[in-house]
Amino acid sequence: MRVLLIEDEQRLAENIIAALRETGLAVDHAAEGEAGSHLAEEGIYDAIILDLMLPGKSGQRVLQDLRRKKLHTPVLILTAQEGKESVVNLLNTGADDYLGKPFDLGELLARIKALIRRARGVATPILVVSDLELNTVQQAVRRRGQPVDLSPTEYRILEYLIHRPRAVVSQQELLEHLYDFEWEHHSNVIEAHVSNLRRKLNAAGTEPLIETLRHRGYRLREPVATP
Amino acid sequence: MTGDISITRRLIVTVLVLELLSAISLIIIVAFHERHVQLKAFDASLVATAESLAGAVQDAEDEADNVMLDLQEVHTSKDAAFRVEDERGRMLGSEGEPPALETAGRQEPSFRDVELRGHAYRFLVLHRLRIVDPGKLDGGVRHTITIVYGTPVAHVWHEVLEAIRFYSIATAILLGVTASLMIWLLRKGLAPVHELAHEAERISSSDWRFNAPASAKRTIELRPLALALEAALARLQRSFEQQRRFTNDAAHELKTDVAIVKSSLQLLSMRKRTVEEYIRGLTLSVNDFTRLENTVQKMLTLARLEQQMENDKLGAVNRSCSLRDAVEDSVNQINSFAQLKAVDVQIESTAEVRVPIDSRDAFLLCSNILLNAVQHSPDGSTVRITLTVNEQTVQLTVKDRGEGISVEDRLHLFEPFYRGDPSRSRKSGGTGLGLSICRAICERAGGTIEIVNGTSGGALVTVTLPAEVLEDTSGLSASLKTQ
Repeated sequence: MRVLLIEDEQRLAENIIAALRETGLAVDHAAEGEAGSHLAEEGIYDAIILDLMLPGKSGQRVLQDLRRKKLHTPVLILTAQEGKESVVNLLNTGADDYLGKPFDLGELLARIKALIRRARGVATPILVVSDLELNTVQQAVRRRGQPVDLSPTEYRILEYLIHRPRAVVSQQELLEHLYDFEWEHHSNVIEAHVSNLRRKLNAAGTEPLIETLRHRGYRLREPVATP
Repeated sequence: MTGDISITRRLIVTVLVLELLSAISLIIIVAFHERHVQLKAFDASLVATAESLAGAVQDAEDEADNVMLDLQEVHTSKDAAFRVEDERGRMLGSEGEPPALETAGRQEPSFRDVELRGHAYRFLVLHRLRIVDPGKLDGGVRHTITIVYGTPVAHVWHEVLEAIRFYSIATAILLGVTASLMIWLLRKGLAPVHELAHEAERISSSDWRFNAPASAKRTIELRPLALALEAALARLQRSFEQQRRFTNDAAHELKTDVAIVKSSLQLLSMRKRTVEEYIRGLTLSVNDFTRLENTVQKMLTLARLEQQMENDKLGAVNRSCSLRDAVEDSVNQINSFAQLKAVDVQIESTAEVRVPIDSRDAFLLCSNILLNAVQHSPDGSTVRITLTVNEQTVQLTVKDRGEGISVEDRLHLFEPFYRGDPSRSRKSGGTGLGLSICRAICERAGGTIEIVNGTSGGALVTVTLPAEVLEDTSGLSASLKTQ
C-alpha cells in the first residue's frame, strides 16, 4: 500500500514517514501544496494524509481539486486549526477522516489502515482468503493455522493482492502501490519477491495461491469453496 | 435620575422663557401706550363735553343780559361732575360736587387730577367767552364762562387693563402653540440621533459591523459623531481581529511543535530499537523540544514587552544601555552561524550612544535583526551594519544582499507569525515572532523600525531610537571612525 503525505513541517513529516514505513506502507512526501496536489492527482495512492495549512496551495484546495477530478482516494486531514465548522466543512468537501494536532502517532496509523481497508471494501483488520489468514495489525500471516514468515516486501505484495481479490494485478501496479519514490525499483525485483512469496506460501498438497499470468501480472486464486 | 440633562427640554424652556420675557416687555409697552392713548381720548372727550357745556350757555333773555345753562342738548357721562360759572362767580349749573379748583387767571384749558368721593377724577377747567346780544351798538355784554368738568379716570384704567388682559391671553396661547410645535419639531429633528443610537445598540462582541445611518451622516451636527463612531469601531474591530489572529496563530504554532515532539517520542516507542537508534531518536526529540521551547520563549518575550508597554504608561522606568555594546555582542554571537553560511558581518561605522532600552532587549533587538539578515544572505555575501548618531536620535542600519522583500510582505512583516515566504516554512528555524519582538522593543523605547529594499538589492533594516544625552559629546566624530 502506498500513502502520500502532504505536510510542510519537515520534522513532523519525517516522523510520520518513518512510522508509516515501519508499519509496511510505502510513503511519498510533498512539503508543498502544488507538488502534493500534482502527486495526489496521479491516482496511484491508496490513501492521502493532508495537512491543511500548506504553502503554495491550501489543503482545502488540494482536496477540492482531487475530488473534482473524480479521484476517490481516501483522504485523512491533519490540522491544528480549531473549530467545529472547519471539520464539517472538510468532511463535506470530501475528506474521509480528520485528526487534530497534536495527534497520537498510533492513532494516525490505525486510521490510515482503516481508511485503506474500507476503500477496498474490507471492514476488519484480519483478511481471510480460503485457508490463508492475514492480520494487518500484527502483520502476521498464517496458512492452515501455521505461521508463515514473510519479508516486509513479501507481506506487502500479499496484502495488496488480498485487497484486490480475483483481479489481475500487473507488475506496474504492484510497483506503484508498494514502493515510494525513494526506493530503487524494477519489475524484476517484483518477480523475485513474488516467486519467494509463492514458495513460502506453498504447503504440501495445496495448489499455489498466486497465479502468474504471463505478460499480464498476478492474481490471487479464487478461493475454493473449502471451509 | 437626577442630574440628567435634556437638550430638548432645555431648548424648549429657553425658547419659552425668551418668548415669555418678550411678551411681558411687549405688554408693558402696550400698557403704557394704551394708557397714553386712552388718556388722550379721555381728555379729548372731556374737552368735547366741556365745549358742549360751554355751547349750552345761552342768553337768559333778562334785563341784566345774564346767561343761563340749557342742558337739554348736552350729554354728560353718568359719574361726571361739573360746574359752570360766569365771571362774577354766579353758578349757572352744576352736577356732582366738583371741588373748588383755582380757576382764575389762566385762559388755557387746564387739567387737574382730583380725588372726589373716594374716586380719582380728572377735571378740565375751561374758560369761554359768551357775548349776549352781540348785534347791539355797544357790542353786547361779554361774559366769561368758566366750565369745570370732570369724570372718573377709572374708565381709562379699565381700558388699559383690558388691553393687558387681551395680550396676556394671546401670549399664553402663543406659548402653548410654540411649546407643542417645538416638541414636535425637535422630535422630528432628533430622529437621526435615535436612529444612530439604535444602530449602535446592535453592536455586540460577535458583530462589530457598524454603518452609521444615512440620516445621521446627513445631519451636520451628527456627522462628526457618526464618523468618529464608525472609525473607532473599525479600529477596535481591527485590533480585536489582530488579537484573535494572534491567538489562533499562537495555538497553531504550539500545537504543531507539540505534535512534532509527541510524534518523535511515539515513533521511538513503536517497537524495540537498538541503542544507536534510541540515542539518535532522543537527540532529535531534544531538538524538537528546543524548538517548542523557543516558540514559547518568544511568545513570552512578546507578551512581556507588550505588558511592559502597558506598565510604562503608568510610570517611566529608568533604564538604558549602550547600543554599541549590544551591536557588538550580537555580532559576536552570530559569527559562528555566519561563518557556517560563509556570510561576512561587518560593522562599518559605530558610535558610543546610550538608548533607553534594557540591555537584554537591546541585545535581542540587534541579534534578531542580524539573524534575519544572515539567514536571508546568499553564501559569500556581506551584511553591513552602521550605527550613527544624529542630534537626538540614533540610527542603526543593517543591510544584506539577499532577495529583499516583496511589496505584499511589507504590509505584514511585523505581524506576529508572519513568514515572508510560506514555502520556506520553518526550515529556517524562524517562528515568525522575531520582527514582532523587534518592533515591540523599538516602540517601547519611542523609536521606529522599518524595512525597505536597498538601492542595490537586498533588504535594508533601519532602526531609529531616541539617543540619551551623553556627557561625552564626541558622538559625531566617533561615528566617522570605521572599524
